[in-house]
Amino acid sequence: MRFGLFHALDDVDFTVHPGEIVALLGENGCGKSTLVKVLAGVNVPEPGGTLRLSGEEISLPLAPGQFRELGLSFVHQDLGLARTLTVVENLMIADADASSDRRMISWRKETARVRTVLQGYGVDVDPLLPINELPPVGQALVAIVRAAEDLRRYRESGRVRQSILFLDEPTVFLPESEVEFLFELVRTIVRDGASVVFISHDLDAVRRLCDRAVVLHDGVLAGEARLDEVTDEQLIEMIVGKATGLVGATYRREDGASSADLPVVAEVHGLSGGRVEEADLVLHGGEIVGVAGLLGSGAEELPYLCFGAHRSTAGTMTVDGRTLKLPRLTAGEAVQSRIALVPADRRRDGIAASLSVGENATILVNDKYTRMGGVQFKKLRRRMGELLEKYDVRPRSSSALLGRLSGGNQQKVVLAKWMEIEPHLLLLHEPTQGVDVAARASIYRHVRAATDDGMATLWVSSDFEELAAVCDRVLVMADGRLRTELSGDEVTEDRISTAVYQYSTNAASVLAEVPGA
Amino acid sequence: MSSTKAAVTPAKTPTPSPKGSGPRMAQQDERSFGIIAERLALPVVFVAIIVVFSVLRPEQFASWSNVSNILGSQAVLFVLALAALMPSITGDFDLSLGGVMGLTAVVVGNLNTQSGMNIWLAALIGVAVALLAGIVNGFFVVTCDTNPLITTLGMGTVLTGLIYYVAGSKTIVGIDPELTRWTFTAKLFDVPFEFWYGVILMMVIWWVTSYHPLGLRALFVGQSRDVARLSGIRVSRIRFGGYVLGGFIAGIAGLLFLGTTGSADPTASGPYLLPAYAAVFLGATSIKPGRFNALGTGLAVYFLATGTTGLQILGAQNYVQQLFYGAALVLAVVLSRQIRRNR
Repeated sequence: MRFGLFHALDDVDFTVHPGEIVALLGENGCGKSTLVKVLAGVNVPEPGGTLRLSGEEISLPLAPGQFRELGLSFVHQDLGLARTLTVVENLMIADADASSDRRMISWRKETARVRTVLQGYGVDVDPLLPINELPPVGQALVAIVRAAEDLRRYRESGRVRQSILFLDEPTVFLPESEVEFLFELVRTIVRDGASVVFISHDLDAVRRLCDRAVVLHDGVLAGEARLDEVTDEQLIEMIVGKATGLVGATYRREDGASSADLPVVAEVHGLSGGRVEEADLVLHGGEIVGVAGLLGSGAEELPYLCFGAHRSTAGTMTVDGRTLKLPRLTAGEAVQSRIALVPADRRRDGIAASLSVGENATILVNDKYTRMGGVQFKKLRRRMGELLEKYDVRPRSSSALLGRLSGGNQQKVVLAKWMEIEPHLLLLHEPTQGVDVAARASIYRHVRAATDDGMATLWVSSDFEELAAVCDRVLVMADGRLRTELSGDEVTEDRISTAVYQYSTNAASVLAEVPGA
Repeated sequence: MSSTKAAVTPAKTPTPSPKGSGPRMAQQDERSFGIIAERLALPVVFVAIIVVFSVLRPEQFASWSNVSNILGSQAVLFVLALAALMPSITGDFDLSLGGVMGLTAVVVGNLNTQSGMNIWLAALIGVAVALLAGIVNGFFVVTCDTNPLITTLGMGTVLTGLIYYVAGSKTIVGIDPELTRWTFTAKLFDVPFEFWYGVILMMVIWWVTSYHPLGLRALFVGQSRDVARLSGIRVSRIRFGGYVLGGFIAGIAGLLFLGTTGSADPTASGPYLLPAYAAVFLGATSIKPGRFNALGTGLAVYFLATGTTGLQILGAQNYVQQLFYGAALVLAVVLSRQIRRNR
């Protein structure tokens, strides 16, 4: 196979042999997901991109569903199953013959057929159960069976030259003890004559399942190796890349003094909830603390747990001398305690798109601009003028609808809104996602300035380059626990990446060694 | 050839340079002209139909008695539309409000005529019943987290059953004329009191939703519930409040209904709900386009009433009312959808 897509992917060229399981490895943003999306016809690549499959030139973009005719099949992380429908119904949907068949459905026959299919793959789930009543591993197995059946049908029709199943991080949300079921299924599929491309961050899983690894870095092929001929260290070096030197400006604290001298602003004890287990955090005023982790590590849940937006099961948090019981914390109390949260999903959680810039930016504080109960819009407008200027929001109009601004300007407004409560603790989750370069720099600058004034900042991001540029300390999270801490000179993109992969792998193998886990 | 990281992820590529803000500002001006046009479309059409009807039937239509008649006779719908506005602002729906209004009327009528209770005490109890209905709606929809359309549709049917039970399936007559005097007979500027009650209510709602922090919070809840929640706004409490206030105001509409007709017909309250919602949605296309607002709602109620009255004066049959209200609701929903899409 040969892919030559501009920008996100540059002349990526790799081979998958029949009956082989190939691991596709790489950091976040290395182009893995772009590759998958282009092949699945989800992403429309920029003009000029080319794709060659088995020597045959294929015009881009692909039409939706065209991947089937090319002998490709995908299982995405969200599995793409209809969760309230039964296994039988889900396995029928993909069957194009079934939908064009005008005869009445014989449910008895269909159920029997699906049962045989599942048995053929060695998958033991009740075909009459709805998907959402299956355990996570059962759901994943059904999704994979559906994709494999797709491939089998196309193989049998004789219209395709290859049949390749792409698995996009299917193990992230599965308990370690059950991953083996999934691997067993993958091996069965390969025995039946298909090839598998296994996309994962988990080196341990990759070693157990795959024959060969292909590594992408910054959109180019960084390396290829047979897994029995390469060490973990060599793989990690391929994934992370050689030290790239100084990239861009740094927004870290200048003096480099130890954070121990700074006053403690927020302390979290024994926080558990979601995938997070017994996390302890000590956050100092004047310090930006990063949290790095792979998807599913629990890092992405930390800000929401500390804000009361997601329910935690245990833990306390002390902010500015006030102790809050985390399981009972509500977002309202968090705001009152002057905790701010900039969420990752800006469209859903961050902005009210149909309301104006001014209304969004002042919703937290408009009750401070009142006289005899009524909001003093004149004062509020003056304040808005200052904010627009300070955060360089374009256009400088507080009456423009926020949904019409660019992503970067929207995020500046979200930040301005939270800064208005003068937070003690600022929680950021992927604050520069979908934000242009100039706006990113502006966000870094404003967060640093506010932090220098004594605020504590917790910055969760999957962009390690960003963490290295802004954070004074970086905590590494894997498998729900904080594993290690990097500070001072250790805060570099490479060190963060290396630590994240190392601990994620170790966490998996540690768990695997626990009997009965 | 290694490309830079910024180019790898399409989302992070820079947006067009700030130079683009020049033409964009011009576009903004056009927009604001568009917004003014949207804002004033309904008032302008309103004035236009008044002019047309006045020219066609100067004697009947353009008389103060006709104006006074329209203003007074539609006061019940006016207040019920304001009731329907309450849950709409917080992004909810209450299809049981017609039932709440009817139940209040028959409860007050029954207490006054069957038990001989003082009319004002009975009115107080009636409004309390309406308030209770709002609380029950709030409990089922907000606390139990159910679909408001289905739940309040069911509640509306339950209330209709209760209306027949309380009224004994008969029209209750012989209501204390005091109630009629204070709603319909007594007039200010030759317009029945009940219209002015509606105006006062509308102005209070307008002030709170436009000038009080609570109104702005309710607006957030209605427009972006998740954002409101993550901004520390007590979303459930405000939604609950929307249902309770809606019930309360529908109870007041019930009292006006009882006073206007001087009797409580168990079947009469049913047809009020649809025109009320037609006014709420039509109102959301003007004054503050894209938002449910009190002034727009009031304006829409009387726009619809003027249209139907005018057509009837021209000789149209009664069914024109159904056609007009129904078409207005559909048109209003399409228009407000369009407004949203354009932003």
